[in-house]
Amino acid sequence: MSSASEMPILELSNVSFSYPGSRMIISGLSFSVHNGEFIGLLGANGSGKSTILKLSSGILRPYAGDVRLWNKPLGTFRNKDRAKLMCYLPQLLDINVPFKVRELVSMGLYPYDIPPHITAEEALYAVGLSEKSESYITNLSGGERRRVFIAMTLVQGAGILLLDEPLANLDIKYQLEFLRLLHDLREKRGIAIIMALHDINIALQFEKVMLIKDGKILDIGNPDAVLTGGMLKDAFDVGIDIKRQASGEAYISYKENI
Amino acid sequence: MPKIKIAFLILITVLIFLSALFIGPRIINPVGIGDTEREILFSIRLPRVVVALLMGIALGAAGAILQGVLRNPLADPYILGISSGASLSAALGLLMGIYSFGRFTIPLTAFIGACLVSMLVGVFGWRRGGLWPERLLLAGVGLSFLFHAMLMLLMSVSSDEGLRRAVLWMFGDLAMADWSLVPYGFIFIISGLVISVSRSRALNALILGDEFAHSLGFSVNKERFFLFISMALMTAASVSLGGTIGFIGLLIPHIMRFIVGADSRVLIPASAIGGGAFLCLADLIGRSIMPPMEIPSGIITAIIGSPYFLYLLRRKDVLSI
Repeated sequence: MSSASEMPILELSNVSFSYPGSRMIISGLSFSVHNGEFIGLLGANGSGKSTILKLSSGILRPYAGDVRLWNKPLGTFRNKDRAKLMCYLPQLLDINVPFKVRELVSMGLYPYDIPPHITAEEALYAVGLSEKSESYITNLSGGERRRVFIAMTLVQGAGILLLDEPLANLDIKYQLEFLRLLHDLREKRGIAIIMALHDINIALQFEKVMLIKDGKILDIGNPDAVLTGGMLKDAFDVGIDIKRQASGEAYISYKENI
Repeated sequence: MPKIKIAFLILITVLIFLSALFIGPRIINPVGIGDTEREILFSIRLPRVVVALLMGIALGAAGAILQGVLRNPLADPYILGISSGASLSAALGLLMGIYSFGRFTIPLTAFIGACLVSMLVGVFGWRRGGLWPERLLLAGVGLSFLFHAMLMLLMSVSSDEGLRRAVLWMFGDLAMADWSLVPYGFIFIISGLVISVSRSRALNALILGDEFAHSLGFSVNKERFFLFISMALMTAASVSLGGTIGFIGLLIPHIMRFIVGADSRVLIPASAIGGGAFLCLADLIGRSIMPPMEIPSGIITAIIGSPYFLYLLRRKDVLSI
Protein backbone atom coordinates (compact mmCIF):
# COMPACT_ATOMS: atom_id res chain seq x y z
CA MET A 1 0.00 0.00 0.00
CA SER A 2 2.98 2.30 -0.37
CA SER A 3 1.99 5.17 -2.56
CA ALA A 4 4.47 7.78 -1.43
CA SER A 5 5.61 8.41 -4.97
CA GLU A 6 2.10 9.40 -6.07
CA MET A 7 0.74 12.89 -5.72
CA PRO A 8 -1.03 13.37 -2.38
CA ILE A 9 -4.77 13.96 -2.69
CA LEU A 10 -4.86 16.01 0.48
CA GLU A 11 -1.91 17.92 1.78
CA LEU A 12 -1.55 20.26 4.73
CA SER A 13 1.68 22.20 4.88
CA ASN A 14 2.73 24.39 7.80
CA VAL A 15 -0.84 24.96 8.88
CA SER A 16 -1.35 27.18 11.93
CA PHE A 17 -4.56 27.83 13.77
CA SER A 18 -5.95 28.61 17.20
CA TYR A 19 -9.38 29.32 18.60
CA PRO A 20 -9.73 32.73 20.21
CA GLY A 21 -9.29 32.38 23.96
CA SER A 22 -8.32 28.71 23.81
CA ARG A 23 -5.09 27.11 24.91
CA MET A 24 -5.05 24.60 22.09
CA ILE A 25 -2.85 25.87 19.33
CA ILE A 26 -1.97 24.22 16.05
CA SER A 27 1.23 25.46 14.55
CA GLY A 28 3.26 24.26 11.62
CA LEU A 29 1.11 21.18 11.06
CA SER A 30 2.06 19.21 7.95
CA PHE A 31 0.91 15.87 6.63
CA SER A 32 -0.37 14.37 3.42
CA VAL A 33 -2.91 11.75 2.46
CA HIS A 34 -2.64 9.52 -0.59
CA ASN A 35 -5.20 7.60 -2.54
CA GLY A 36 -6.47 4.56 -0.68
CA GLU A 37 -4.89 5.46 2.65
CA PHE A 38 -6.75 4.69 5.85
CA ILE A 39 -5.39 6.80 8.68
CA GLY A 40 -6.39 6.64 12.32
CA LEU A 41 -6.14 9.92 14.24
CA LEU A 42 -5.41 9.33 17.91
CA GLY A 43 -4.94 11.69 20.79
CA ALA A 44 -6.30 12.70 24.17
CA ASN A 45 -9.42 14.83 24.56
CA GLY A 46 -8.69 18.38 23.45
CA SER A 47 -5.50 17.38 21.64
CA GLY A 48 -6.79 18.85 18.37
CA LYS A 49 -8.15 15.83 16.47
CA SER A 50 -11.41 17.54 15.53
CA THR A 51 -9.63 20.78 14.71
CA ILE A 52 -7.28 18.98 12.35
CA LEU A 53 -10.23 17.37 10.55
CA LYS A 54 -12.03 20.71 10.33
CA LEU A 55 -8.94 22.42 8.94
CA SER A 56 -8.56 19.62 6.39
CA SER A 57 -12.17 19.96 5.29
CA GLY A 58 -12.11 23.75 5.01
CA ILE A 59 -14.65 24.32 7.79
CA LEU A 60 -11.90 26.17 9.63
CA ARG A 61 -9.43 28.33 7.75
CA PRO A 62 -5.81 28.28 8.87
CA TYR A 63 -4.13 31.56 9.89
CA ALA A 64 -1.07 30.49 8.02
CA GLY A 65 -0.07 27.58 5.82
CA ASP A 66 -1.69 25.76 3.00
CA VAL A 67 -4.38 23.11 2.54
CA ARG A 68 -4.31 21.53 -0.91
CA LEU A 69 -6.82 19.14 -2.41
CA TRP A 70 -5.62 17.29 -5.51
CA ASN A 71 -2.70 19.72 -5.56
CA LYS A 72 -4.95 22.77 -5.78
CA PRO A 73 -5.53 25.20 -2.89
CA LEU A 74 -8.72 24.15 -1.10
CA GLY A 75 -10.11 27.68 -1.26
CA THR A 76 -10.10 27.69 -5.08
CA PHE A 77 -12.64 24.88 -5.35
CA ARG A 78 -16.30 25.60 -5.92
CA ASN A 79 -18.21 24.40 -2.86
CA LYS A 80 -20.07 21.73 -4.79
CA ASP A 81 -16.95 20.43 -6.48
CA ARG A 82 -15.20 20.20 -3.14
CA ALA A 83 -18.18 18.30 -1.70
CA LYS A 84 -17.87 15.68 -4.45
CA LEU A 85 -14.23 15.10 -3.54
CA MET A 86 -14.25 15.38 0.23
CA CYS A 87 -16.80 14.67 2.92
CA TYR A 88 -16.70 15.54 6.62
CA LEU A 89 -18.81 13.81 9.24
CA PRO A 90 -19.00 15.74 12.52
CA GLN A 91 -18.82 14.11 15.90
CA LEU A 92 -22.04 15.63 17.25
CA LEU A 93 -25.24 14.68 15.47
CA ASP A 94 -27.84 16.65 17.39
CA ILE A 95 -30.79 16.76 15.04
CA ASN A 96 -34.12 17.76 16.56
CA VAL A 97 -36.08 18.15 13.34
CA PRO A 98 -38.10 15.08 12.35
CA PHE A 99 -36.56 14.30 8.98
CA LYS A 100 -37.22 10.85 7.63
CA VAL A 101 -34.20 8.59 7.37
CA ARG A 102 -34.54 8.33 3.59
CA GLU A 103 -34.70 12.14 3.23
CA LEU A 104 -31.52 12.57 5.24
CA VAL A 105 -29.57 9.93 3.37
CA SER A 106 -30.65 11.47 0.05
CA MET A 107 -29.13 14.80 1.11
CA GLY A 108 -25.80 13.20 0.22
CA LEU A 109 -26.86 13.82 -3.39
CA TYR A 110 -27.05 17.60 -2.96
CA PRO A 111 -23.68 18.36 -4.58
CA TYR A 112 -24.71 16.43 -7.68
CA ASP A 113 -26.85 17.42 -10.62
CA ILE A 114 -26.82 13.85 -11.92
CA PRO A 115 -27.07 11.19 -9.21
CA PRO A 116 -23.85 9.16 -8.92
CA HIS A 117 -23.14 5.51 -8.25
CA ILE A 118 -25.10 4.60 -5.11
CA THR A 119 -28.75 5.12 -4.16
CA ALA A 120 -30.12 5.95 -0.72
CA GLU A 121 -31.64 2.47 -0.53
CA GLU A 122 -28.32 0.78 -1.25
CA ALA A 123 -26.55 2.95 1.31
CA LEU A 124 -29.16 2.16 3.95
CA TYR A 125 -28.81 -1.53 3.18
CA ALA A 126 -25.06 -1.23 3.59
CA VAL A 127 -25.45 0.15 7.13
CA GLY A 128 -28.20 -2.32 8.00
CA LEU A 129 -31.05 0.18 8.22
CA SER A 130 -33.18 -0.75 5.20
CA GLU A 131 -36.25 -1.26 7.32
CA LYS A 132 -35.88 2.19 8.96
CA SER A 133 -36.01 4.13 5.71
CA GLU A 134 -39.38 5.73 6.53
CA SER A 135 -38.71 6.27 10.25
CA TYR A 136 -38.10 9.67 11.77
CA ILE A 137 -34.49 10.31 12.68
CA THR A 138 -35.66 11.69 16.02
CA ASN A 139 -37.00 8.25 16.96
CA LEU A 140 -33.72 6.42 16.37
CA SER A 141 -31.08 5.56 18.95
CA GLY A 142 -27.70 7.29 18.97
CA GLY A 143 -26.06 4.39 17.19
CA GLU A 144 -28.75 4.17 14.53
CA ARG A 145 -28.50 7.90 13.91
CA ARG A 146 -24.79 7.59 13.34
CA ARG A 147 -25.36 4.80 10.82
CA VAL A 148 -27.88 7.00 9.00
CA PHE A 149 -25.25 9.70 8.60
CA ILE A 150 -22.68 7.16 7.55
CA ALA A 151 -25.14 6.11 4.84
CA MET A 152 -25.37 9.77 3.85
CA THR A 153 -21.59 10.01 3.42
CA LEU A 154 -21.71 6.84 1.31
CA VAL A 155 -24.27 8.47 -0.97
CA GLN A 156 -22.16 11.62 -1.20
CA GLY A 157 -19.50 9.36 -2.64
CA ALA A 158 -16.46 11.54 -1.99
CA GLY A 159 -12.93 10.17 -2.44
CA ILE A 160 -11.76 11.48 0.93
CA LEU A 161 -13.74 10.86 4.09
CA LEU A 162 -12.92 12.88 7.18
CA LEU A 163 -14.70 11.14 10.02
CA ASP A 164 -14.78 12.60 13.52
CA GLU A 165 -15.18 9.68 15.91
CA PRO A 166 -17.68 7.78 13.77
CA LEU A 167 -17.42 4.79 16.07
CA ALA A 168 -18.80 6.69 19.07
CA ASN A 169 -22.22 5.33 20.23
CA LEU A 170 -21.83 2.27 18.03
CA ASP A 171 -22.21 -1.26 19.34
CA ILE A 172 -19.09 -3.32 18.85
CA LYS A 173 -20.92 -5.25 16.10
CA TYR A 174 -21.57 -2.09 14.11
CA GLN A 175 -18.10 -0.74 14.83
CA LEU A 176 -16.65 -3.80 13.14
CA GLU A 177 -19.20 -3.79 10.33
CA PHE A 178 -18.55 -0.12 9.73
CA LEU A 179 -14.80 -0.65 9.58
CA ARG A 180 -15.33 -3.54 7.16
CA LEU A 181 -17.56 -1.34 5.06
CA LEU A 182 -14.85 1.34 4.89
CA HIS A 183 -12.23 -1.24 3.97
CA ASP A 184 -14.54 -2.49 1.23
CA LEU A 185 -15.02 1.01 -0.10
CA ARG A 186 -11.31 1.56 -0.10
CA GLU A 187 -10.73 -1.66 -2.02
CA LYS A 188 -13.43 -0.97 -4.58
CA ARG A 189 -13.18 2.76 -5.04
CA GLY A 190 -9.75 3.62 -3.70
CA ILE A 191 -11.07 6.22 -1.28
CA ALA A 192 -8.88 7.70 1.45
CA ILE A 193 -10.09 7.92 5.02
CA ILE A 194 -8.95 9.87 8.05
CA MET A 195 -10.79 8.82 11.15
CA ALA A 196 -10.49 10.26 14.64
CA LEU A 197 -10.93 7.52 17.20
CA HIS A 198 -10.39 6.67 20.83
CA ASP A 199 -10.02 2.92 20.82
CA ILE A 200 -6.32 2.08 20.71
CA ASN A 201 -7.10 -1.61 20.11
CA ILE A 202 -8.90 -0.68 16.91
CA ALA A 203 -6.15 1.75 15.94
CA LEU A 204 -3.67 -1.14 16.23
CA GLN A 205 -5.44 -2.76 13.28
CA PHE A 206 -4.92 0.25 11.02
CA GLU A 207 -2.12 0.49 8.52
CA LYS A 208 -1.31 4.04 9.47
CA VAL A 209 -1.95 6.09 12.57
CA MET A 210 -1.27 9.68 13.50
CA LEU A 211 -0.69 10.42 17.17
CA ILE A 212 -1.57 13.96 18.27
CA LYS A 213 -0.71 15.93 21.36
CA ASP A 214 -1.40 19.62 21.98
CA GLY A 215 -2.08 20.27 18.32
CA LYS A 216 1.16 18.71 17.14
CA ILE A 217 1.87 15.40 15.46
CA LEU A 218 3.89 13.24 17.82
CA ASP A 219 4.39 10.61 15.16
CA ILE A 220 2.78 9.23 12.06
CA GLY A 221 3.23 5.80 10.53
CA ASN A 222 2.61 2.13 11.14
CA PRO A 223 0.94 1.48 14.52
CA ASP A 224 3.70 -1.00 15.42
CA ALA A 225 6.16 1.85 15.30
CA VAL A 226 3.95 4.68 16.53
CA LEU A 227 1.81 3.13 19.23
CA THR A 228 4.52 2.16 21.70
CA GLY A 229 4.19 2.34 25.46
CA GLY A 230 6.37 5.44 25.64
CA MET A 231 4.51 7.29 22.90
CA LEU A 232 1.14 6.46 24.39
CA LYS A 233 2.31 7.59 27.82
CA ASP A 234 3.33 10.88 26.24
CA ALA A 235 0.05 11.31 24.32
CA PHE A 236 -2.45 10.13 26.91
CA ASP A 237 -0.52 10.47 30.20
CA VAL A 238 -1.47 6.92 31.14
CA GLY A 239 0.73 3.87 31.50
CA ILE A 240 -0.19 1.45 28.71
CA ASP A 241 1.53 -1.69 27.49
CA ILE A 242 1.22 -3.06 24.01
CA LYS A 243 1.15 -6.83 24.16
CA ARG A 244 1.08 -9.44 21.47
CA GLN A 245 -0.88 -12.65 21.31
CA ALA A 246 0.69 -15.83 20.04
CA SER A 247 -1.09 -15.21 16.74
CA GLY A 248 0.80 -11.91 16.45
CA GLU A 249 -2.18 -9.69 17.08
CA ALA A 250 -1.41 -6.66 19.23
CA TYR A 251 -3.58 -5.41 22.05
CA ILE A 252 -3.23 -2.92 24.88
CA SER A 253 -3.13 -3.56 28.57
CA TYR A 254 -3.40 -0.88 31.20
CA LYS A 255 -0.65 -0.70 33.75
CA GLU A 256 -2.86 1.15 36.20
CA ASN A 257 -5.71 -0.44 38.13
CA ILE A 258 -9.12 1.17 38.11
CA MET B 1 -47.56 11.96 -1.79
CA PRO B 2 -46.59 15.51 -0.67
CA LYS B 3 -48.01 16.74 -3.99
CA ILE B 4 -51.45 15.37 -3.14
CA LYS B 5 -51.23 16.91 0.32
CA ILE B 6 -50.20 20.29 -1.10
CA ALA B 7 -53.04 20.15 -3.64
CA PHE B 8 -55.43 19.39 -0.79
CA LEU B 9 -54.04 22.33 1.22
CA ILE B 10 -54.53 24.65 -1.75
CA LEU B 11 -58.11 23.44 -2.15
CA ILE B 12 -58.88 24.11 1.52
CA THR B 13 -57.26 27.54 1.24
CA VAL B 14 -59.41 28.45 -1.77
CA LEU B 15 -62.53 27.33 0.08
CA ILE B 16 -61.61 29.39 3.15
CA PHE B 17 -60.76 32.37 0.94
CA LEU B 18 -64.16 32.25 -0.77
CA SER B 19 -66.02 31.72 2.50
CA ALA B 20 -64.18 34.68 4.01
CA LEU B 21 -65.33 36.81 1.07
CA PHE B 22 -69.00 35.92 1.23
CA ILE B 23 -69.56 35.18 4.91
CA GLY B 24 -69.53 37.90 7.55
CA PRO B 25 -71.92 40.02 9.57
CA ARG B 26 -73.76 40.29 6.27
CA ILE B 27 -73.86 37.12 4.22
CA ILE B 28 -73.52 37.82 0.52
CA ASN B 29 -75.17 35.55 -2.00
CA PRO B 30 -72.65 35.22 -4.85
CA VAL B 31 -75.46 34.78 -7.39
CA GLY B 32 -77.55 37.95 -6.95
CA ILE B 33 -75.14 40.75 -6.04
CA GLY B 34 -76.62 44.24 -5.63
CA ASP B 35 -74.77 47.55 -5.48
CA THR B 36 -74.40 47.56 -1.70
CA GLU B 37 -73.13 44.00 -1.75
CA ARG B 38 -70.69 44.83 -4.51
CA GLU B 39 -69.42 47.76 -2.47
CA ILE B 40 -68.98 45.60 0.64
CA LEU B 41 -67.37 42.81 -1.36
CA PHE B 42 -64.81 44.82 -3.30
CA SER B 43 -64.06 47.76 -0.99
CA ILE B 44 -64.15 46.06 2.38
CA ARG B 45 -64.08 42.27 2.22
CA LEU B 46 -61.73 41.61 -0.69
CA PRO B 47 -58.85 43.83 0.46
CA ARG B 48 -59.20 42.50 3.98
CA VAL B 49 -59.22 38.86 2.93
CA VAL B 50 -56.35 39.38 0.50
CA VAL B 51 -54.31 41.12 3.19
CA ALA B 52 -55.03 38.30 5.66
CA LEU B 53 -54.02 35.70 3.05
CA LEU B 54 -50.79 37.51 2.16
CA MET B 55 -49.84 38.12 5.79
CA GLY B 56 -50.47 34.49 6.68
CA ILE B 57 -48.40 33.32 3.70
CA ALA B 58 -45.54 35.60 4.70
CA LEU B 59 -45.59 34.64 8.38
CA GLY B 60 -45.89 30.90 7.78
CA ALA B 61 -42.97 30.85 5.36
CA ALA B 62 -40.86 33.22 7.48
CA GLY B 63 -41.38 30.97 10.51
CA ALA B 64 -40.35 27.85 8.58
CA ILE B 65 -37.18 29.61 7.40
CA LEU B 66 -36.23 31.02 10.81
CA GLN B 67 -36.78 27.73 12.63
CA GLY B 68 -34.50 26.05 10.12
CA VAL B 69 -31.73 28.63 9.88
CA LEU B 70 -31.54 29.10 13.63
CA ARG B 71 -32.01 25.37 14.31
CA ASN B 72 -34.55 26.39 16.88
CA PRO B 73 -38.13 25.10 17.04
CA LEU B 74 -39.25 28.19 18.96
CA ALA B 75 -38.00 30.75 16.45
CA ASP B 76 -40.50 33.00 14.71
CA PRO B 77 -40.38 36.64 13.57
CA TYR B 78 -42.70 37.70 16.38
CA ILE B 79 -40.89 36.02 19.29
CA LEU B 80 -37.49 37.16 18.06
CA GLY B 81 -38.65 40.78 17.97
CA ILE B 82 -38.15 41.04 14.21
CA SER B 83 -41.81 41.91 13.59
CA SER B 84 -41.90 44.59 16.27
CA GLY B 85 -38.54 45.95 15.10
CA ALA B 86 -39.92 46.21 11.57
CA SER B 87 -43.06 47.98 12.89
CA LEU B 88 -40.99 50.40 14.92
CA SER B 89 -38.75 51.17 11.98
CA ALA B 90 -41.74 51.81 9.71
CA ALA B 91 -43.45 53.93 12.37
CA LEU B 92 -40.29 55.98 12.90
CA GLY B 93 -40.04 56.45 9.16
CA LEU B 94 -43.59 57.75 8.96
CA LEU B 95 -43.16 59.96 11.98
CA MET B 96 -40.02 61.56 10.64
CA GLY B 97 -41.88 62.21 7.43
CA ILE B 98 -39.80 60.03 5.17
CA TYR B 99 -41.90 59.68 2.04
CA SER B 100 -39.11 59.65 -0.52
CA PHE B 101 -40.42 56.51 -2.16
CA GLY B 102 -44.13 57.22 -1.77
CA ARG B 103 -46.09 54.36 -0.23
CA PHE B 104 -43.18 52.04 -0.94
CA THR B 105 -41.43 53.82 1.95
CA ILE B 106 -43.41 51.78 4.50
CA PRO B 107 -42.40 48.28 3.40
CA LEU B 108 -38.89 49.55 2.68
CA THR B 109 -38.35 51.00 6.17
CA ALA B 110 -39.97 47.89 7.65
CA PHE B 111 -37.53 45.73 5.66
CA ILE B 112 -34.57 47.76 6.88
CA GLY B 113 -35.88 47.40 10.43
CA ALA B 114 -36.32 43.64 10.03
CA CYS B 115 -32.75 43.28 8.73
CA LEU B 116 -31.27 45.42 11.51
CA VAL B 117 -33.12 43.54 14.23
CA SER B 118 -32.13 40.18 12.74
CA MET B 119 -28.51 41.26 12.93
CA LEU B 120 -28.96 42.60 16.46
CA VAL B 121 -30.58 39.38 17.66
CA GLY B 122 -27.76 37.47 15.95
CA VAL B 123 -25.10 39.57 17.68
CA PHE B 124 -26.65 38.96 21.10
CA GLY B 125 -27.22 35.28 20.38
CA TRP B 126 -23.67 34.74 19.14
CA ARG B 127 -21.10 33.36 21.50
CA ARG B 128 -17.86 31.45 20.98
CA GLY B 129 -18.29 31.03 17.26
CA GLY B 130 -21.90 29.84 17.26
CA LEU B 131 -25.51 30.84 17.72
CA TRP B 132 -26.86 29.76 21.09
CA PRO B 133 -30.58 28.94 20.96
CA GLU B 134 -31.40 30.15 24.47
CA ARG B 135 -29.40 33.36 24.14
CA LEU B 136 -31.04 34.01 20.79
CA LEU B 137 -34.56 33.66 22.18
CA LEU B 138 -33.81 35.75 25.25
CA ALA B 139 -32.23 38.45 23.10
CA GLY B 140 -35.31 38.42 20.87
CA VAL B 141 -37.70 38.62 23.79
CA GLY B 142 -35.72 41.46 25.35
CA LEU B 143 -35.56 43.43 22.11
CA SER B 144 -39.22 42.79 21.46
CA PHE B 145 -40.17 44.38 24.81
CA LEU B 146 -37.98 47.36 24.03
CA PHE B 147 -39.53 47.89 20.60
CA HIS B 148 -43.05 47.55 21.93
CA ALA B 149 -42.33 50.14 24.57
CA MET B 150 -40.89 52.49 21.96
CA LEU B 151 -43.90 51.97 19.71
CA MET B 152 -46.15 52.82 22.64
CA LEU B 153 -44.09 55.92 23.29
CA LEU B 154 -44.49 56.93 19.65
CA MET B 155 -48.19 56.29 19.92
CA SER B 156 -48.55 58.60 22.89
CA VAL B 157 -46.74 61.49 21.24
CA SER B 158 -47.87 61.14 17.64
CA SER B 159 -50.60 62.69 15.51
CA ASP B 160 -53.81 60.91 14.61
CA GLU B 161 -52.53 59.28 11.44
CA GLY B 162 -49.41 58.06 13.22
CA LEU B 163 -51.55 56.80 16.06
CA ARG B 164 -53.74 54.82 13.74
CA ARG B 165 -50.84 53.01 12.14
CA ALA B 166 -49.01 52.50 15.42
CA VAL B 167 -52.09 50.79 16.87
CA LEU B 168 -52.27 48.67 13.74
CA TRP B 169 -48.66 47.65 14.11
CA MET B 170 -48.92 46.77 17.73
CA PHE B 171 -52.00 44.65 17.63
CA GLY B 172 -52.24 43.51 14.04
CA ASP B 173 -55.69 44.87 13.35
CA LEU B 174 -57.00 43.63 10.02
CA ALA B 175 -60.07 45.89 10.20
CA MET B 176 -57.93 48.72 8.84
CA ALA B 177 -56.74 46.72 5.84
CA ASP B 178 -56.95 48.39 2.44
CA TRP B 179 -55.48 48.01 -1.03
CA SER B 180 -52.82 50.67 -0.72
CA LEU B 181 -49.89 48.46 0.24
CA VAL B 182 -51.04 45.18 -1.29
CA PRO B 183 -48.94 45.46 -4.50
CA TYR B 184 -45.73 46.14 -2.53
CA GLY B 185 -46.50 43.43 -0.04
CA PHE B 186 -47.17 41.03 -2.88
CA ILE B 187 -43.83 41.80 -4.55
CA PHE B 188 -41.93 41.42 -1.26
CA ILE B 189 -43.62 38.12 -0.48
CA ILE B 190 -43.09 36.65 -3.95
CA SER B 191 -39.42 37.67 -3.88
CA GLY B 192 -39.03 36.16 -0.42
CA LEU B 193 -40.69 32.92 -1.48
CA VAL B 194 -38.64 32.61 -4.65
CA ILE B 195 -35.38 33.20 -2.79
CA SER B 196 -36.20 30.81 0.05
CA VAL B 197 -37.58 28.00 -2.08
CA SER B 198 -34.58 28.19 -4.40
CA ARG B 199 -32.37 27.87 -1.28
CA SER B 200 -34.42 25.17 0.42
CA ARG B 201 -31.81 22.45 -0.07
CA ALA B 202 -29.29 24.64 1.67
CA LEU B 203 -31.83 25.19 4.43
CA ASN B 204 -32.19 21.43 4.86
CA ALA B 205 -28.43 21.16 5.18
CA LEU B 206 -28.24 24.09 7.64
CA ILE B 207 -30.84 22.36 9.82
CA LEU B 208 -28.30 19.56 10.26
CA GLY B 209 -25.67 22.10 11.29
CA ASP B 210 -23.08 24.38 9.71
CA GLU B 211 -20.51 21.62 9.39
CA PHE B 212 -22.88 19.35 7.51
CA ALA B 213 -23.93 22.21 5.26
CA HIS B 214 -20.28 22.91 4.47
CA SER B 215 -19.55 19.25 3.82
CA LEU B 216 -22.57 18.98 1.51
CA GLY B 217 -21.16 21.76 -0.66
CA PHE B 218 -22.90 24.91 0.56
CA SER B 219 -21.32 28.21 1.46
CA VAL B 220 -22.76 28.49 4.95
CA ASN B 221 -22.60 32.26 5.37
CA LYS B 222 -23.88 33.03 1.91
CA GLU B 223 -26.85 30.69 2.24
CA ARG B 224 -27.70 31.98 5.69
CA PHE B 225 -27.55 35.55 4.39
CA PHE B 226 -29.97 34.87 1.54
CA LEU B 227 -32.36 32.98 3.78
CA PHE B 228 -32.36 35.83 6.30
CA ILE B 229 -33.02 38.35 3.53
CA SER B 230 -35.99 36.29 2.32
CA MET B 231 -37.34 36.06 5.87
CA ALA B 232 -36.88 39.82 6.40
CA LEU B 233 -38.66 40.59 3.10
CA MET B 234 -41.68 38.54 4.12
CA THR B 235 -41.76 39.82 7.71
CA ALA B 236 -41.57 43.41 6.41
CA ALA B 237 -44.41 42.72 3.98
CA SER B 238 -46.64 41.25 6.64
CA VAL B 239 -45.94 44.07 9.09
CA SER B 240 -46.59 46.75 6.45
CA LEU B 241 -49.86 45.10 5.44
CA GLY B 242 -51.42 44.54 8.83
CA GLY B 243 -49.05 44.89 11.75
CA THR B 244 -47.60 42.26 14.04
CA ILE B 245 -49.53 39.04 14.42
CA GLY B 246 -47.90 36.36 16.50
CA PHE B 247 -48.22 32.62 16.67
CA ILE B 248 -48.63 31.88 12.95
CA GLY B 249 -44.90 31.87 12.28
CA LEU B 250 -44.36 29.63 15.27
CA LEU B 251 -47.28 27.29 14.94
CA ILE B 252 -47.89 26.73 11.23
CA PRO B 253 -44.45 25.25 10.39
CA HIS B 254 -44.87 22.71 13.20
CA ILE B 255 -48.31 21.69 11.98
CA MET B 256 -47.05 21.48 8.41
CA ARG B 257 -44.05 19.38 9.44
CA PHE B 258 -46.59 16.97 10.86
CA ILE B 259 -48.59 16.95 7.63
CA VAL B 260 -46.01 17.16 4.81
CA GLY B 261 -42.74 16.33 6.60
CA ALA B 262 -39.62 18.30 7.48
CA ASP B 263 -38.08 18.67 3.99
CA SER B 264 -37.83 22.45 3.51
CA ARG B 265 -38.48 22.13 -0.22
CA VAL B 266 -42.04 21.15 0.67
CA LEU B 267 -42.26 22.72 4.10
CA ILE B 268 -41.75 26.35 3.01
CA PRO B 269 -44.55 26.38 0.40
CA ALA B 270 -46.79 24.31 2.67
CA SER B 271 -46.24 26.69 5.60
CA ALA B 272 -46.98 29.63 3.31
CA ILE B 273 -50.25 28.12 2.13
CA GLY B 274 -51.20 26.91 5.60
CA GLY B 275 -50.39 30.30 7.16
CA GLY B 276 -52.53 32.10 4.59
CA ALA B 277 -55.47 29.77 5.08
CA PHE B 278 -55.16 29.92 8.86
CA LEU B 279 -55.13 33.72 9.10
CA CYS B 280 -58.06 34.01 6.64
CA LEU B 281 -60.01 31.57 8.76
CA ALA B 282 -59.09 33.31 12.02
CA ASP B 283 -60.19 36.64 10.58
CA LEU B 284 -63.43 35.16 9.26
CA ILE B 285 -64.24 33.68 12.66
CA GLY B 286 -63.21 36.85 14.47
CA ARG B 287 -65.61 39.08 12.57
CA SER B 288 -68.52 36.62 12.24
CA ILE B 289 -68.78 35.07 15.67
CA MET B 290 -70.49 37.97 17.44
CA PRO B 291 -71.18 40.88 15.12
CA PRO B 292 -70.90 43.78 15.15
CA MET B 293 -68.08 43.20 17.60
CA GLU B 294 -64.83 41.99 16.10
CA ILE B 295 -62.38 39.72 17.84
CA PRO B 296 -58.80 40.44 16.67
CA SER B 297 -57.31 37.65 14.55
CA GLY B 298 -54.37 37.26 16.90
CA ILE B 299 -56.71 36.10 19.65
CA ILE B 300 -58.48 33.62 17.37
CA THR B 301 -55.20 32.18 16.05
CA ALA B 302 -54.08 31.62 19.62
CA ILE B 303 -57.37 30.04 20.72
CA ILE B 304 -57.45 27.60 17.79
CA GLY B 305 -53.73 27.13 17.54
CA SER B 306 -52.54 26.62 21.11
CA PRO B 307 -54.46 23.42 21.88
CA TYR B 308 -53.34 21.83 18.63
CA PHE B 309 -49.79 22.94 19.26
CA LEU B 310 -49.88 21.45 22.75
CA TYR B 311 -51.27 18.23 21.33
CA LEU B 312 -48.37 18.07 18.88
CA LEU B 313 -45.96 18.74 21.70
CA ARG B 314 -47.11 15.52 23.35
CA ARG B 315 -46.27 13.50 20.26
CA LYS B 316 -42.64 12.58 20.49
CA ASP B 317 -42.27 11.57 16.87
CA VAL B 318 -43.28 15.01 15.62
CA LEU B 319 -41.60 17.38 18.00
CA SER B 320 -38.66 16.02 19.89
CA ILE B 321 -37.67 19.15 21.67
